[in-house]
Amino acid sequence: MEVDLSKITLRPFKLEDADDFLLFAGDDQVTNYLRWQTLNSKQEALDHIKDVCIPHPWRRSICIDNCSIGFISIFPFSGEEHRFKANIGYGVAVKYWGHGIATKALKMAVPQFFADFPDVVRLEAFIDPQNLGSQRVVEKTGFQKEGMLRKYAYMKGKLRDMFIYSFLSTDLPANP
Amino acid sequence: MEATSVVQLDQTKAKDECLNLSLRPLQVSDVDDFMVWASDEKVTRFCTWEPYTNKEDGLNYIKNTVVPHPWFRAICVDDRPVGAISVSANSGNDKCRGELGYVLASKYWGKGIVTRAVKMVVDTIFVEWPHLERLEALVDVENVGSQRVLEKAGFQREGVLRKYFILKGRSRDMVMFSLLSTDYQS
Repeated sequence: MEVDLSKITLRPFKLEDADDFLLFAGDDQVTNYLRWQTLNSKQEALDHIKDVCIPHPWRRSICIDNCSIGFISIFPFSGEEHRFKANIGYGVAVKYWGHGIATKALKMAVPQFFADFPDVVRLEAFIDPQNLGSQRVVEKTGFQKEGMLRKYAYMKGKLRDMFIYSFLSTDLPANP
Repeated sequence: MEATSVVQLDQTKAKDECLNLSLRPLQVSDVDDFMVWASDEKVTRFCTWEPYTNKEDGLNYIKNTVVPHPWFRAICVDDRPVGAISVSANSGNDKCRGELGYVLASKYWGKGIVTRAVKMVVDTIFVEWPHLERLEALVDVENVGSQRVLEKAGFQREGVLRKYFILKGRSRDMVMFSLLSTDYQS
C-alpha cells in the first residue's frame, strides 16, 4: 500500500467517525500501550467520541482523505503549578503502520498545540521501553529523551518503567 | 603543623557524625524552632514558598499542612527540630510512587545531617508503606548540595527534566532521582 503523506490531515472527531474509530480503538495492538481499554462495539465508540474525544482540551483525528485512521491527544495538566506542562499520546490503525504517518501527524500537531496553548512550555511523552516504534516516532519528531523512570506507575495493572521524552515550545524551529 | 590540622579536621568530622539525630512528628509547640529555618532565605532559595515572616503563618502551616500530612517528620539534633523531611503519597495508578522532600536550618549545613535523615527515612518508609515501590526526588539543577545528599544516600540519577517546574515564576530544569524498594533490599 502506498501512502501519500501529503494527504494526512488533523481535525476534531465527529460522531460519524465511530466505525473508523472502532477499527483502531477496538484493536489490542493499538491500545496495548495506552491507558484506554480496548473498545468492543460501535456503541462504545460513539460513547467514547461523545464523552471523551469531543470535550477533550486537544484531541485530533489523524485522517487520510478525511477518514479517521488514528488520534493524537494532548492533555495540559491542571493546577497552578502544573498547567504549563502537557502530556501527549497517540495511536494509528495497524493497517497504516510503517509509513511514517504518526511522525507526520505529530510534526503537524506539536506546533498547532503550542499555538493553541501559549501558556504550555513543556510537552512530555511517557513511552514503554519495549515500545520501539513509538520511541522512533517521537525521536524523529524532535522530542528529547531525558531518562528512564524506573517503576514509575501502574498501567493496566502492571508496574512499568517509562522513558520520559520532552518537546519544549523553545524547541520549535524559528521559521514555521 | 600539618599533622595537627589533620587531627583537628578528623575530630570535627567525628563530632559531626556523633550528633544525636532523630526524627519525630513536628508539633505546634515546635513553632519557634520551625521559624528559624522557615524565615531564612538561604533555606527557601529552592523552595516554592517565600520565607515566613510571622509566627501566625508558621502555626497555620504546622496545623493545616504538617499535622494532616501522610508522612512528615522534624529532623532533630538533641531532640530540638533543626529541619524537616517528608514523603508525599499518590493515589490510583501512581500509588507506587512517593516524593521525598527536606529542608534544614543553614547553621547545620555541611555536616551530613540530611544524608543521615534520608537514610533513616529509607530504612522505615518501605516497611510503613508496603505499596511503595519507588521513592523519588526532584532537585533543581543548581542545587548541587541536595544532589550530593541523594547520591550519598544511594539514590539513582535518572535524568534532567527540562523546564519541569516553575519556581517563583521561572521555569527550572530538575534532576530526577529515585530509590526503589528493590534497590534498598539489595
